[in-house]
Amino acid sequence: MDERDALKTVQAEIAQLRDRYVARLPAEVTEMTELAGRLKGDENDRPTLDFLRHRLHRLAGSGGTFGFHALGAKARLLEQEVSQWLEDPVLADGPTLEHFGDGIASLATLQGAGPSGPAAVDVAMPPAPASGQPARIWVVDDDELLGGELARLLAQFGYVTRLFTRFDDANAAARAGERPDILILDVLFPDENLNATEALFRGSALDTLGCPLLFVTAFSDFPSQLRAARLGASGFMEKPLDVPKLVDRLERMHDTSPATPHRVLIVDDDVDLAEHYRLVLTAAGMEVAVENLPEQVMERVATFRPELLLLDMYMPGYTGPELATVIRYRDEWLSLPIVYLSAETDLDKQIKALGHGADDFLTKSISDAQLLASVRVRVARSRQLADLMSKDSLTDLLKHARIKEEIDIELTRAQRSGKPVCVAMVDIDHFKLVNDTYGHAVGDRVIRAIAHLLRQRLRKSDGIGRYGGEEFVVVLPECDEVMAKAILEDNRERFGALRFRHEEQELACTLSAGVACANSGQTVAGGDLLVTADEALYAAKHGGRNQVRIGQVGAKATAGTT
Amino acid sequence: MDLKHILYVEDEPDIQAVAKIALEMVGGFTVKICASGEEALREAVAFAPDMILLDVMMPGMDGPSSLAGLRALPELATVPIAFMTAKVQPAEVAHLKSLGALDVIPKPFDPMTLATQVCAIWEKRNG
Repeated sequence: MDERDALKTVQAEIAQLRDRYVARLPAEVTEMTELAGRLKGDENDRPTLDFLRHRLHRLAGSGGTFGFHALGAKARLLEQEVSQWLEDPVLADGPTLEHFGDGIASLATLQGAGPSGPAAVDVAMPPAPASGQPARIWVVDDDELLGGELARLLAQFGYVTRLFTRFDDANAAARAGERPDILILDVLFPDENLNATEALFRGSALDTLGCPLLFVTAFSDFPSQLRAARLGASGFMEKPLDVPKLVDRLERMHDTSPATPHRVLIVDDDVDLAEHYRLVLTAAGMEVAVENLPEQVMERVATFRPELLLLDMYMPGYTGPELATVIRYRDEWLSLPIVYLSAETDLDKQIKALGHGADDFLTKSISDAQLLASVRVRVARSRQLADLMSKDSLTDLLKHARIKEEIDIELTRAQRSGKPVCVAMVDIDHFKLVNDTYGHAVGDRVIRAIAHLLRQRLRKSDGIGRYGGEEFVVVLPECDEVMAKAILEDNRERFGALRFRHEEQELACTLSAGVACANSGQTVAGGDLLVTADEALYAAKHGGRNQVRIGQVGAKATAGTT
Repeated sequence: MDLKHILYVEDEPDIQAVAKIALEMVGGFTVKICASGEEALREAVAFAPDMILLDVMMPGMDGPSSLAGLRALPELATVPIAFMTAKVQPAEVAHLKSLGALDVIPKPFDPMTLATQVCAIWEKRNG
């Protein structure tokens, strides 16, 4: 059993435990709700409260362990509540107890949200590849030659591929608990006398993988396509395959970049309530800071750099709208989403408050799920907007201005850390010829292919931007000249090996690159680094293209001054 | 010395099961589970653990008193002990460490990385 198989087995075992836990939970919650209903608010409650505290404690621990973070967090809060009563000589009063009972009953609904809910770590799901870890693809195709070629080409893009030439073999692997991140399936398997869409439709271990599925076929009949659609397949592509186009599809299906946690700042003088919100949002995987002192808010926003601000409407000495206005005085915080939190239910007052620079209004009686949803939607939208502003629409790479910023950021970082940093300019050779001969659609595909390739092959920490039409800029932090050269040579070779299909023709492209390196301790301006990389690129082009050249920073300037 | 035998003291059966899988299948350790501090005191010496993981909140003997009890046994006086708890406020962690624990592992733990966390603590044991 290799390491991956071992992990699968672990996942399967844990999934089983979780299933049993889920099956047990409703009865447990019902029992606890009943017990809570019997509480009278007098000394005789102690044994029951003690029992409930113990059960809540267990639920808090196990809920989190199985990925039911919201459930775990809520149980933890209820546990704390009970603990306080138990320490207090005066036990809770009627309304408080009633509220407590409701809280326990609500646990059942939190379980319903399931571990697939808010960013929970779902131990039963196939693990998302960690950043930088390549996605595993199964290619199931009875044509060993074609399937093998496809697997090889996908490997060029950095995927880890595995070829099955028999449907049954893949099926057996799936039954044994093995899982790819993406499944690519041929439709017809004449030797096994089956149509994969039919086989999956009838039920097969492959259908239970739960990973994105893509069909490839030489015969695309309508019934098969319809079955594919009903199976929820992400694509149905005809052979001969255009691999870069396929990769384009795969990238969209399988986003390998793990989302960075949403950053939320809560400003509320009510310490307990703020703590509750913090718990709820943290349980969903967000990064949350709480500020109880409104006068500290400016400083906190500057240091924590939240993506969303939850602002209490009424705080001693200040109102939310006042603070929002102060925040909006700063240009860099104009786009920061601000959401008011308040017990205010008067619609007129709410609308008035929104006039002061805030984006939304949540009443404090809001349920945890609602709070989570509103925050998540707001941050996601604000990120989308930021992306739109900073990313190139064709390639999803950084735009010209942003990649230049990135160079400066990395240079500053490098000066602090004393590590080298490299900048490379990459250009597709004879790109105009491709456009003129095959049309812009093909040209766009070539550009997307190089973007995918760079994203797949470079590290997470590297910056990649589309500098101009067919020109790209790459920033490689903590990377010296030798490493940079090796990285770009690797990309050059892989790019050259790609074949693009257009109608009945195949075409290949090459790239040239120029590298400039700021060595440890060297102070260089971002602009100079770019100029040097550009000069090296020029040299590569003149040296016959399809090559990588290294430029010497400051070489020209020195020559000029001496 | 290699880390082989781990004693895990935890009252919650679900977490026991997950931890056992996480430490045995992922980490390759030999794991013994005790459901309470009292049970741990009775059985720990015979198991001869290289390291002990203690849940902090348990009915009966809680984590800190279990730690004190285990430490009082001459065979276990120097065995590295780590706490497992959901309360990981800095003050809380500092307090737990002051009791003689090497480190504190936050709960809920990730079954896939628990073994790595434990190994990291094991590496620290000599300073």
